[in-house]
Amino acid sequence: MRYLALFKAQLKMRYIYLKRYYFDTLSMIITMFLVFLIIFYGATALLGGATPTDSGDTLEGIVVGFMVWTFALVAYANLSWGMIEEAQQGTLEQLYMSPLGFGWVNIFRVAASFIVNALMVIVVLLLMMATTGKWLNLDVPSLIPLILLTVAGAYGIGFFMGGLALVFKRVQSALQVLQFVLVIFIAAPLGWLPFMKFLPLSLGTRLIGMVMIEERSLLQLPPGDVLFLIGNSAFYFGLGFLIFKLFENVARDRGLLGHY
Amino acid sequence: METVLQVKDLTKLFRQGRGEAVTAVDRVSFSVHKNEVVGLLGPNGAGKTTTIKCIAGLIKPTSGEIWLDGVEALRHPKKAMERVAALLEGNRNIYWRLTPRENLEFFVGLQGHTVGKVRGYIDELIELFDLKEKHRTPARKLSRGMQQKLALACALVRQTEVLLLDEPTLGLDVETSYELRHVLKQMAAQGERTILLSSHDMHVVQDICERVIIVNNGRVVVDDRVTNLMKLFQVSAYRFELEGPLGEEQELRLKELFPLLEVSATGHRTYIDADLKDGTQLYEVLEILKDGSAQIKSIGHKEPNLEEIFLTIVKGQLK
Repeated sequence: MRYLALFKAQLKMRYIYLKRYYFDTLSMIITMFLVFLIIFYGATALLGGATPTDSGDTLEGIVVGFMVWTFALVAYANLSWGMIEEAQQGTLEQLYMSPLGFGWVNIFRVAASFIVNALMVIVVLLLMMATTGKWLNLDVPSLIPLILLTVAGAYGIGFFMGGLALVFKRVQSALQVLQFVLVIFIAAPLGWLPFMKFLPLSLGTRLIGMVMIEERSLLQLPPGDVLFLIGNSAFYFGLGFLIFKLFENVARDRGLLGHY
Repeated sequence: METVLQVKDLTKLFRQGRGEAVTAVDRVSFSVHKNEVVGLLGPNGAGKTTTIKCIAGLIKPTSGEIWLDGVEALRHPKKAMERVAALLEGNRNIYWRLTPRENLEFFVGLQGHTVGKVRGYIDELIELFDLKEKHRTPARKLSRGMQQKLALACALVRQTEVLLLDEPTLGLDVETSYELRHVLKQMAAQGERTILLSSHDMHVVQDICERVIIVNNGRVVVDDRVTNLMKLFQVSAYRFELEGPLGEEQELRLKELFPLLEVSATGHRTYIDADLKDGTQLYEVLEILKDGSAQIKSIGHKEPNLEEIFLTIVKGQLK
């Protein structure tokens, strides 16, 4: 019950932010959408509309990749930039004092932000599909676990950078650079460079593409790939979280939690 | 009396750069009884905030023990956090984009409590802190004083046995500071919370604390009841009233004997305030004054205030 109370509190806060700052929400959706249009039509002009890739068609691949990037970006930003914001606001120390533990506070924060942001991503996705006319397969029961698994990698990176921010404070430029590194992970040409599936986000994006573009269900995906994705995501999420705990300990030892 | 907060030999070294370590807190020990309000005083850098943050689990001590209501905080941090809430220095501690009620509800959830069960208490706090009219305004649009009151309410809503308040009136204007003091006094009088409060504002401390712990250079130098300290200093604090000005040479001689002696004048009157340890020192002062032109109008005990007591102790006059 206590954990449920904590989760509800986090979920409610995210929801209030989304609603109260609807202008922010709206402008974020529009920005995302505009960036997508530029990329999409840029690619169309460049490629003439047809080049075979791993995910079938490039243009459809762009829709899928962009969707994953949106998910990954908000996941990553929520932890890294979010941690900085909490430190500046002076609420980080309050979060830290939760009797349920800072770890759970953050895990529920991640879960809450995932749910709330999913609403936003769905809007962007519908907009993308409507404008491009590429209506992709929305097999929700297959997509939810795949997206969760894929984005877990981004949360791992978010935890890592959040931990870094706790100790080193001035990490903003690194944070910005990494946002674009995420693109490389997502756009990794696995057919050409298969070892890239060891990176976070790469294989997940490809599997999501298989569901959305090739209209396969989760059960029709190569089991080896799905297992690899589970291992990969657990690894990056676990590693990020572990390093975060490590940095948190350093921050607590040096008395840095409240400073920003 | 039941002890709910006990600090034993708390030490914190901060390592700076290569090897060099600064001792922020040096074997500090004290205890606070149930429903007691204790002031933690000390000059800047004395180790007050570090001590408070160690108790709150925000800084890892180098050595020592912290017991919160029977729980060893360093070994069982989660259990300990059920027993303590803190209002930390600065105008923060709250979510700027949430309204007062939303903030309170969030902190209830953060504590692992269900909002439905404490709704009555939330209403009570909103009433007590005069936040009712502003209950729909995001915290960032509230006045500085309101924000601080809300931050205090957010610490209270966690319903912990122990409450740590680090400089709760810092940066507030006189009126809001007074208002907050009033609320704290009310709370202290109700005797429902155990409070450890650090402050530079001696009015706050004198108003609400029963006991003070004074730290200097990371160590406890005084741990006594406020009334005892007042009595102790009342005996030694004298005020001499003179008709006419004090000669320059006399003033020098006096200050040589009593470095903390203060001379002030209004109109024709001159006042000398001094801490005299015993009767013989009184005669020494009189001896010096005898040589001057000014006439002694009266000699009396001065009512000391906590600020002067604090300064005297910290300047090492007593210890």
